[in-house]
Amino acid sequence: MSPTLTIAALTIREAVRRRLLLAFLAITVLIAGLSAWGFDRLSHTHSLTSGETNLAIPQALILFMFMFSFVLALSASAIASPSISSEVESGVLMTIVTRPLRRTEVVLGKWLGLATLLAGYAAGVCALEFGVVDWTSGFVPPNPVLVSVYLFLEAALLLTLALLLSTRIPVIAAGVIGVAVFGAGWLAGVVGTIGSALNVAALRTVGQVGRFLLPTDGLWHAAIYYLQPPSLIAQHIADGGQRDPFYAQGAPSWAYLLWVACWFSIIMIAAVASFERREL
Amino acid sequence: MSPSNSAEPHIVEDVAPRPVSSVDAASSAERSREPGTSPAIHALGLSKRFGDTVAVNSLSMTVERGEVFGFLGPNGAGKTTVVKLLLGLARPSGGEALVLGAPLGDREARRRIGYLPELFRFQALLTAREVLRLHCRLLAVPKAAWAEQERSALETVGLLERGDDRVGTFSKGMQQRLGLGVALLGDPSLIVLDEPTSALDPVGRHDVREIIRGLRERGCTVFLNTHLLEEAEHVCDRVAVIDRGRTIATGGLDELLGRHSRVRLRVGGLGEGWWSRFGRFGQWQRQDDWLVVEGIDAARIAELVGELVALGGQVQAVIPEHQSLEARFLELLGER
Repeated sequence: MSPTLTIAALTIREAVRRRLLLAFLAITVLIAGLSAWGFDRLSHTHSLTSGETNLAIPQALILFMFMFSFVLALSASAIASPSISSEVESGVLMTIVTRPLRRTEVVLGKWLGLATLLAGYAAGVCALEFGVVDWTSGFVPPNPVLVSVYLFLEAALLLTLALLLSTRIPVIAAGVIGVAVFGAGWLAGVVGTIGSALNVAALRTVGQVGRFLLPTDGLWHAAIYYLQPPSLIAQHIADGGQRDPFYAQGAPSWAYLLWVACWFSIIMIAAVASFERREL
Repeated sequence: MSPSNSAEPHIVEDVAPRPVSSVDAASSAERSREPGTSPAIHALGLSKRFGDTVAVNSLSMTVERGEVFGFLGPNGAGKTTVVKLLLGLARPSGGEALVLGAPLGDREARRRIGYLPELFRFQALLTAREVLRLHCRLLAVPKAAWAEQERSALETVGLLERGDDRVGTFSKGMQQRLGLGVALLGDPSLIVLDEPTSALDPVGRHDVREIIRGLRERGCTVFLNTHLLEEAEHVCDRVAVIDRGRTIATGGLDELLGRHSRVRLRVGGLGEGWWSRFGRFGQWQRQDDWLVVEGIDAARIAELVGELVALGGQVQAVIPEHQSLEARFLELLGER
């Protein structure tokens, strides 16, 4: 097993043994249970027409998935922030980095282990929630796999950023910055939506710049797009286009996805270089 | 005291070593004595600055293969910084050094180095065996040898019974023992121990000394960074004393403490002033009922006693006295 895979396996084993992960899983199952009750009520209510129900269920699902995307982002920041800084402070990494491996392999191994956990959580939560919706209302998102992929990518970007911060900044500061950056990215997206709705160029620019500086909101909107049935998209277009922060007009462009890949690579290279240069 | 790089014969009593590894001890010892083998550590003008603070100031030293080398100094002398430089954890500001014949931080050389850090912490959620297995993997020890390496390391450090317990349940002393076990994995040629007994009780300290002696027997070089002079006195072949980032003395313990010691005598039956005829043995002083000979060569004490008996003296007591390492250490620091 290569050093990178050894560190990844160690990271996963340690995370699995922490109670934090169990707490996340318990909360997820609890929320999925509550959502099952909500979707069941929504699909059996007599105050809505079947057309309204068919629009309400995907919108409610998007809100639930937003909450799960927040949990994923929070988890990414929470598990990546201490991954290097706290182990340097406690001395745990001292005996690891003096073994015959590159520090790059330590960073990549940590990332790989944590990303595997996030991918598992994203896939699991999508399977659980989409199963609940299908069971209670019969609705299935147009592309559940891509929803899961984009939710994971959103969290993976924050994971990479938190890992970079963790190579230099103490645990709590790195965690707080990670969550704050995620919040700022989402808020910039909301501002951009308001700008589009009110046709204010400056606000629209804030949203566009925000999505390039931190692509998490752009990836969240990609996930939204694959959650929306054609009827919901048609309804939004009929209502005059993009006025809702929980609506995505189109799939992400290849150019944007290329930029996301560049952004990810830059942050990852910075994380590796930062830890390589750090004196322990 | 002139610095010396020669390996002096150790002065500690011979104690049967405990087995430290399943590896053929004889072959390791033989390897370490190969002619032409580079020193375990060779530093020349090594320096480290943190801003305006000079932590290590043009430090030069050589640690020969197969010796137990004590690295002594007061708190803040720069000992741990030197260890970090040697292990590639920090980069020197100047000078150069070779460890096992390779540049600082060399990846292949690290395969042959065991390290117990001063700040020893291990993955609290893993068992002791899992920690050892992790390091076997990182060292690329063949999988078939893992079980034996784990068992041998746990047995050597006295944790065989606790191998399946999580590290988080260990006391500080047990974690330090585990750290020593981790450092022993992979048959290292050089083991760097940074304050290896700081969390241990007297029994643990004794065990560590035995382990170090065992390592020397199998030809492993031990670099012992300590401020416990008694520890160095017990196990080291040679020591270097460092202060303010500079080596102020290096040599064998005999050499460092001085070859000449002193002996305290109580002799009857020879009257007064007889000792003036024995000035060639050293400087004589009367202290109450005792006579003290300063600067006597330890090897000549028996000769002196023989001459006294031949003259008809009644030799009631002969007490050789050596300068302790602590006294010499304080003397060296005082000389600065």
